Amino acid sequence: MRRAPIVVAATAAGLAGVLGFHTQQQSLLSGLSTGGTTTTTSGGGTTSTTAPAGSGGSTSTTAPGSTSTSTPATTTTTTPTGTQTAIGADVQYRYGELELKVTATGGKITSVQPVIDTAYDARSFQVNSYAEPQLLSQTLQAQSANINGVSGATYTSQAYVQSLQAALDKLGIK
Amino acid sequence: MTPPVAPALAPSGPRDQTGRRYEADPGSAPVLGHVHHVMGTVVSFDVRVGDVEPKAAMVALSRACARLDRADAVFSTWKPNSPMSRIRRGEVALRDAPPEVGRVLELCALARELSAGWFDPWQMPGGVDPTGLVKGWAADEALSVLREAGVRAAMVGAGGDLATFGSPEPGGAWRIGVRDPWAGDRVACVLESPGAVATSGCYERGDHVIDPRTGRPGTRFASATVTGPELWLADALATGLLVAGEEGLAFIDALDGYEAFVISETGSTARTARLPIVS
Repeated sequence: MRRAPIVVAATAAGLAGVLGFHTQQQSLLSGLSTGGTTTTTSGGGTTSTTAPAGSGGSTSTTAPGSTSTSTPATTTTTTPTGTQTAIGADVQYRYGELELKVTATGGKITSVQPVIDTAYDARSFQVNSYAEPQLLSQTLQAQSANINGVSGATYTSQAYVQSLQAALDKLGIK
Repeated sequence: MTPPVAPALAPSGPRDQTGRRYEADPGSAPVLGHVHHVMGTVVSFDVRVGDVEPKAAMVALSRACARLDRADAVFSTWKPNSPMSRIRRGEVALRDAPPEVGRVLELCALARELSAGWFDPWQMPGGVDPTGLVKGWAADEALSVLREAGVRAAMVGAGGDLATFGSPEPGGAWRIGVRDPWAGDRVACVLESPGAVATSGCYERGDHVIDPRTGRPGTRFASATVTGPELWLADALATGLLVAGEEGLAFIDALDGYEAFVISETGSTARTARLPIVS
């Protein structure tokens, strides 16, 4: 279930601006109890997510709606031409699992492609086939249209944002 | 291991309380972004800090998240021991439940009335289920925490429904794209948020909206969007509109401050007269 690379012609600054997911607040929030907070450690290459305890069906191993991310055994690589790649967090969300690879040249994102992209059922796969790559496109369109948010976008796109942001953090792109 | 990356956030002033220098961000307010996993979905925050101390804004953000967690703990119908689950099973009387349960059920009754019965938590399988209203209500509550903390502007996105206040840029409203039901890389239109924008659709998870008149799944639009001052009602009305079809536009048109935009299964669109559409 791999997909062709999505070529992105955005400046990294613009992308991060629209996503608006920064890491600064974590250092202060870490001392406060906010169950279910996504914690991203910038630069260290680790991402962990703690789902709120019992936030879903008590009998299932994965609570509906909670996502979990594992620390990927990944590296940020730089080629002689200055092209960097990083693999984002492996995000398990309600209906599947997603991990993205981001390639940047000179601090600008040149491509985003899924490394892991699995859906837990056929319906989810059908959904994923257009719901995942779209968020980045949405982000790009949001820049051009000057949109602050999108109404009607849910689970899959959030997993996409989460993995993407982790990859951007590793690349030091803000 | 790469060295830690400097924070992207640039709260007010060139230095924070620890003396760390932030990057200046001319022309736009400092932005605090955050995602919180709760209520079976993802809630995102976009906070324009303004003149508030960065630490105060972060504390408010933490309190806003705690408010969401509390709503989940009280109202989750997935958690067998939540007060709401116990009420549904008849184990606890309403008067013995946490006070917000009564408040939310009052709002449910109001939403049922204002939607001409098309949003009806009492017609859900398994007994009264306020889930369709709680998410929006909790986002409103979280937003009010941030507003009271004095931040300049904020947006809370709860699973694709958005609650906003203030102006992200001087003089400008929060601009919200409504997702194209068939092409996720497009938005069907752009709206200026009057405080809330909620979209109900069946494109991600199939028919999941129950028609209260039949007790079975049934939707008459590809997506239904409602704008208005508060998300709890916009969200409930969008849900009701999705199953009501064309006639639903009338009950929304009759409500001061609430407007609707619908996309039919054939791709045609309809809207109420005062929809804050910008493109």
